[in-house]
Amino acid sequence: MSMRINWAILLGLVLVIAENAIVPWLIPPGWSDRLLPHLTFILTIFVAGYAGRHPAFLFGLGFGLLQDMLAYGHLIGPYGFGMGLIGYLAGLLSEYKSYTISLFSWAVLVFGLLLDSIVYSIYNLFRLTDLQFAHVFYWQVAPTALLQLLIALLLYVPVRRYLVKASLSPGEDNPE
Amino acid sequence: MSAIFRLMRNKRLFILMIGLILFIALMGFTFGRNRLTWPEKFVNDAFGTVQGVFYRPVGAVADFFRDLGRLSDVYKENEQLRQTVAQYTQDQIRFNLLEAENKRLQEELNFTERQKNMDNYRYLIAQVVGSTSNPYERTITINLGSKDGIKPEMAVRTVDGLVGLVSKVKNFTSTVTLISNLDPSSSKGSPVSATFLSKPDSFGIIEYDEETKTLLMSKIEEKDKPVDGDTVITSGLGSLFPKGIIIGTVKSSQVGDFGLTYTATIEPAAKFDHLREVFVIVVPEVDEP
Repeated sequence: MSMRINWAILLGLVLVIAENAIVPWLIPPGWSDRLLPHLTFILTIFVAGYAGRHPAFLFGLGFGLLQDMLAYGHLIGPYGFGMGLIGYLAGLLSEYKSYTISLFSWAVLVFGLLLDSIVYSIYNLFRLTDLQFAHVFYWQVAPTALLQLLIALLLYVPVRRYLVKASLSPGEDNPE
Repeated sequence: MSAIFRLMRNKRLFILMIGLILFIALMGFTFGRNRLTWPEKFVNDAFGTVQGVFYRPVGAVADFFRDLGRLSDVYKENEQLRQTVAQYTQDQIRFNLLEAENKRLQEELNFTERQKNMDNYRYLIAQVVGSTSNPYERTITINLGSKDGIKPEMAVRTVDGLVGLVSKVKNFTSTVTLISNLDPSSSKGSPVSATFLSKPDSFGIIEYDEETKTLLMSKIEEKDKPVDGDTVITSGLGSLFPKGIIIGTVKSSQVGDFGLTYTATIEPAAKFDHLREVFVIVVPEVDEP
């Protein structure tokens, strides 16, 4: 299976805009600092599964840095680093095991937790936050990862139908 | 030593190390920097403009549905507002008299033109065009930039009260760091000085407690014991920051560090999420000779 990378990049740009302009309105008022889904991260996991580790690495790096630049207040780079690394790791994983929906769900969940933990540790390293990790994990990382899992499952069918090219060999499973 | 060489032979780990070093360098370089390069400005302006197209309509729809849910409260709210307006009309008369007297006294004391205009703030209305998903950079983007006369460190408020400070200015958009991201202890940005409405001489510094998600006003002198329910406003000490913007009300107070000062917990007056319009406060220029 391979992926229509140009379309994936276009979708990524749309998701960046949605993440900053539309998602904040859908989060209920009291939860705005707890649920902060990273939509381009979800797309990076898709790319890792269907296009391999090198496209996923570049994809994560690019969109991570873009997001960093748009949110720039203190630092540029935490999401660029975290998403690049995770794109690569998820790509490695997909080369060892084929991507089924259950593996994909686990990947989104575990890598989501990992991404926000990496970002926390970077901000902690630069002394920009003095919260305890346990508190951050309970307050923001875990709810965000669960919401990301939900969004990823909603995106799963459209992404497979429109972005993933069916493989040429007839033996592979053909979506729809 | 041989272990290190064996590590070096692992290409992936080696590249990861290099990447980590590069990124730490990048983060260190961008840390605490105020000027932006043109690619950053361009990317931010481009995305800011497109985001604005979506953010406002979606916000209008979301607010409409939220208002539908609050329809039953409208009657009570109306009653309250009517009372407040009646009170304001009374205050207006007093205010006009006081202002006239103030002007007369300034005239008599030979205030310079600059001193007279010091408190004439200009309010620039700005549309919010986006907020970010980064939990440690609580920022919003507004659709005014350096072309509209926005400068870093300007105060930003909503109708309710202070929300933040302008942090990064692009050509057509700027980033506003929310007050919930201010933390004077870690030297990121200038501290906001505050005072109590009932005690105009009091002084305190506003910071945000990430653990309890409330604002704190610290370093209050012993003689100005905070009273619960008192309104906290910016004091404008240092004159770079406008004075008289509502920050919030005192929720509780306790004796601060070393028992010499008080620390008050403050309920912010403004909401920090679902913002649509904000005002940027332009303090009149101080022309140095």
